[in-house]
Formats: sequence, structure tokens, C-alpha cells
Amino acid sequence: MKKFLSIMATAVVLLTATSCAKGGGDSIYVIRREESAGTHSAFIELCGIESKDENGNNTDNTLDAAEVTKDTSVMLISVAGDPNAIGYVSLGSFNDSVKALEIDGVAPSVAAIREGSYTLARPFNIVTNGTLAPEAQAFVEFIRSEEGQAVVEAQGYVPLETPQPAAEAGNLSGTVKVNGSSSVTPLMERLAEAFAAKHGQVQIDVSQSDSTMGVADVRNGRCDIGMASRALKESEAGPGVLETQIATDGIAVIVCKENPRTQLTKEQVRKIYTGETTAWAELG
Amino acid sequence: MQKFTRRYIETAARILFFAAACVCVLCVALICVYLLASALPTIAKIGPLAFLGGSRWHPSAGEFGIFPMMIGSLYVTAGAVAFGVPVGLLTAVYLARFAKRRTAKVLRPLVSLMAGLPSILYGFFGLVVLVPLLRNLFGAGKSVLTASLLLGIMILPTIISVSESALRAVPAQHYEGALALGASHERSVFFVVLPAARSGVMASIVLGIGRAVGETMAVIMVAGNQATLPKSIVSGVRTMTANIVLEMGYATDLHREALIATAAVLFVFILLINLLLSLLRGRNA
Repeated sequence: MKKFLSIMATAVVLLTATSCAKGGGDSIYVIRREESAGTHSAFIELCGIESKDENGNNTDNTLDAAEVTKDTSVMLISVAGDPNAIGYVSLGSFNDSVKALEIDGVAPSVAAIREGSYTLARPFNIVTNGTLAPEAQAFVEFIRSEEGQAVVEAQGYVPLETPQPAAEAGNLSGTVKVNGSSSVTPLMERLAEAFAAKHGQVQIDVSQSDSTMGVADVRNGRCDIGMASRALKESEAGPGVLETQIATDGIAVIVCKENPRTQLTKEQVRKIYTGETTAWAELG
Repeated sequence: MQKFTRRYIETAARILFFAAACVCVLCVALICVYLLASALPTIAKIGPLAFLGGSRWHPSAGEFGIFPMMIGSLYVTAGAVAFGVPVGLLTAVYLARFAKRRTAKVLRPLVSLMAGLPSILYGFFGLVVLVPLLRNLFGAGKSVLTASLLLGIMILPTIISVSESALRAVPAQHYEGALALGASHERSVFFVVLPAARSGVMASIVLGIGRAVGETMAVIMVAGNQATLPKSIVSGVRTMTANIVLEMGYATDLHREALIATAAVLFVFILLINLLLSLLRGRNA
């Protein structure tokens, strides 16, 4: 019995000892998305976190100590709970549990992106390969029509400047498979609902992975329409592969609500994500 | 005639059962062959030392060192054992020898319920409860410590149920003999019954280790997933399973092969654990 008690006591002592290893109270806790997320590639490109070497290859300079998450909602929960955390999400996925920072003095909003003053913005694209089935073609035209763009605006994204008139669609049926970016997925689901209200015979299957997967699936025929929250990469181009912009989305740089900071410059964001700045106090 | 039919049925049934057993063996053999056949050339291409001993994992720069992930898996598993084994073992002893019948009746179904919960639920619990709690205590929310604690909770049902049946299987003479020699109830349980059940208890721990090494969904939500060597118990960590899940979706070429090779290393880990388990069982028999 005594032996047992002493073992338990040692465990308690060890536990309290580890609490002395408490991390610095002010150090920035950086959270990033995984490498293949469109939001990540757009973010590092827009903030200058990637660099080009002499062969034209891009290197991602995001610091190694950054937490990696695969999921927008895990990102939101993690930032909401940690006063020292910083992260980024699609503006459309942003919610009130966290605070969006002003970048170079401009708060992210649909209006600011439209007039070009909020610069962390990237296109939402759909990718197709070759000739589409009539029902898929009708869906693409619907998205770019006035009706589809109204959905885009209602969901908090920036619609296209000039919506394209859709051709009159006859009786359609069949299944359209859509896969790709988790940032585009929420918008695509709303668009699919609006389309289904008009064409009950067409079923649209929207599944979520990431931009890279979406493009790859279109290229090898596993789905009809790919979603990408970034521009196509050179390595992804090919005969018949076509990208079409359907909306513009901002990237919100987010911090915990308890964080007193309200704005950062793009340069400061770059320094935080490359590890040059490690404490909030260093930002002045 | 009747005898002949019977023998015929006997043989047919034996073949059927043998075929069923073969499915199992075949699956394991196929996984083993596939993993090793695709992993060995990759490891040779990257270089065994660079792959197993390299501490930098930067697929886009062609650096494939999985040492941080191996260490990550080891740390997290050791932590899970440190948390899970004392609690699980004491619970098992309590359930087997101390609890009132009515208490045990409530506790036991709860333990089996714990075993049945999907790991994503544990992950979510870890993310919204454990992470903020540990952040307030230690300054870092997603860390080796959090992952260990969560895994420690997850391996509890395995440890409790296997240890409890081992404790119950100890012949009554052991306990009664100790009492007859003048030992108290507690002394008999801890110094006679528990040592007599040690091979079963060890088996429960090894099974728990197996679960902890292989766990993915829950760990990925609370560990931080940085592909670097953890500096302390409160820094973030990436396990081998997390490494595979995070990157398998989009990896191509050598990167993809390196992930399959990571899976092969994980497979070898599990093989070693099972080998240990059968050694323990063998000593018992």
C-alpha cells in the first residue's frame, strides 16, 4: 500500500513540475492550413510568405512551429479559445466567435474587396475538363447568371462584375458531381440548392476536399466540376482544362476576441508567418 | 450411406470454416506484402538513414525525415500509458474486488460505452474542453501533454476490461490463502491477486499501447501537428498517423511513396507490439 502511495505521489510531483515549463505568455501562436488548401496557397502568395528560387520553384516559408490544421472549423475553434493565436479563414466562413483584423488599415468586407482596398482577396474558381454534359453546363451557366450571382452576394462573397446570361435550359436530368475546396463548398451547396429548386430532376453532389484534389479529380474524370479557391497552377494546366471564376472571396486574418490588437500591416503578417516576429509585444 | 453423408458434410463444413479463417490471414498477408513492397524501394531511394533518422520533413523541398513523427508517436504513446495505466488499473482492481455489486452494475456499462465512442467525439471533447483547460494551466493548449491525456482517456476501457477479467480469473484460493495467513483484504488484493494476474494486466497495457499508437482522428485535433521534434512536453507534436492523414489526400510521386513508407514503419511498430503481446501470453501458458 505504501509503495502505491509513493508512486502516486511521484506522479503528482511530476505533474506540478511540468507546469513550471509554462510557455511565454506573449508569444504568438501561429495556426496554418495544410499545404494543399487553396486558402493557404492564396494567403502565402498574397502576403509574400512564399519565395521563388532561381529555377522558378516556389518555396513556402511558413515557420515550422505553426500548428497545422486540415479544417476551417478547427481553425475557428482554436483561434477563438487562445488569446495568443493568429490564423486565417475564408471571409465567407468567418463568424463572430473570432475577430478579423484590419489589414493595412482596411477591415475585410465585401464592399472593401469590391473597391480593391482590402487586398487579401482571391478568386473562387470552378474547373472543368472538355465538353460538359448538358445538365453540368446548365449549372455552370446558372452560377454565372444574375440569379446565381445573387446567391453569391447573399452568402457574403463578392459577385462577378458582369453576370452572364444563361441559355434557356430545356428538360434536364442526371447527376453532376462537384468536388474540391472546402472554402468554396459552403457557397457551392447554396448554389446547388438554388439550382435544384429550378431543375428538380438534376441531382448535384457536392463533396468537400481541397483545391488540389478538386482539380485532380476533374482532370482524371472522377467529377464534372472542380472547386478551387485559388488560380490554377502551371502544373495543373492541360488541354481542355478550363477555369472559370464564379466569385471573389477575401481571406480574413483572425485573432481571439480577447486579443486587444485590431490591425496589422501585410508586412507584419508576413513576419509573423515566417517566424521573424514571435511575440505580440514586438509589433509595437 | 448415412455415415458417408455425414462425413461429406463434416468435410464441407471444415473447408468452409477454413476458407473463412483464410480471409483474415490473406488480408494481413496482402497488407504486409503491399506495404513492404512499396515502402522498401522508397526507403532505399530516400536513404534509410535520411528517412528514419532525418529530422526535417519538407516534402516540397524533397526532405523526407520521419524521425520527428516517430518520436512524436513514441512520446504521445508513453504519455498515454503514464496517464491511462494507473487510472485504468485501479479502476479494474476496484471493479473486480472492491466495488459493491450495485456500483459495479452502473460502472461497467459506462466503461463499455467509453469503448464504443467514436474517436472523433474524443477529438472534439479534447479540442473544446482539454485544450482550453491545459492552455490556462501550462500556457500551451495543443501539445504532447494534451494528446497524451486524451489518449490516456481513450485507452482506459481497453485496460479496464482486459485487466478486470484477468483479475477475476485468478483462482479464489490465492485470495483466501492470503486472508488465512492474516493479510488484510487490501493487502491480499494488491500483493497476491494483482501479481497473480500480471500477465493479463501486461496484455491489457500492450493492447492499450496498440490503440494509442494507431489513433488518428482524435490526435490530429489536439496535437498541433507541427512536423518538428517536440522541445518539451508542452510543445506541439505530429504522430506518424497524423502525418499520413494530413498529407495523403494531395501527395504525389515521391511524397506519396514517403507517406506509404511511413505507414510501413507504423506497421512494423504495431507488429513489434503484437510480438510483445504474444511473448507475454506465451509466458502465461
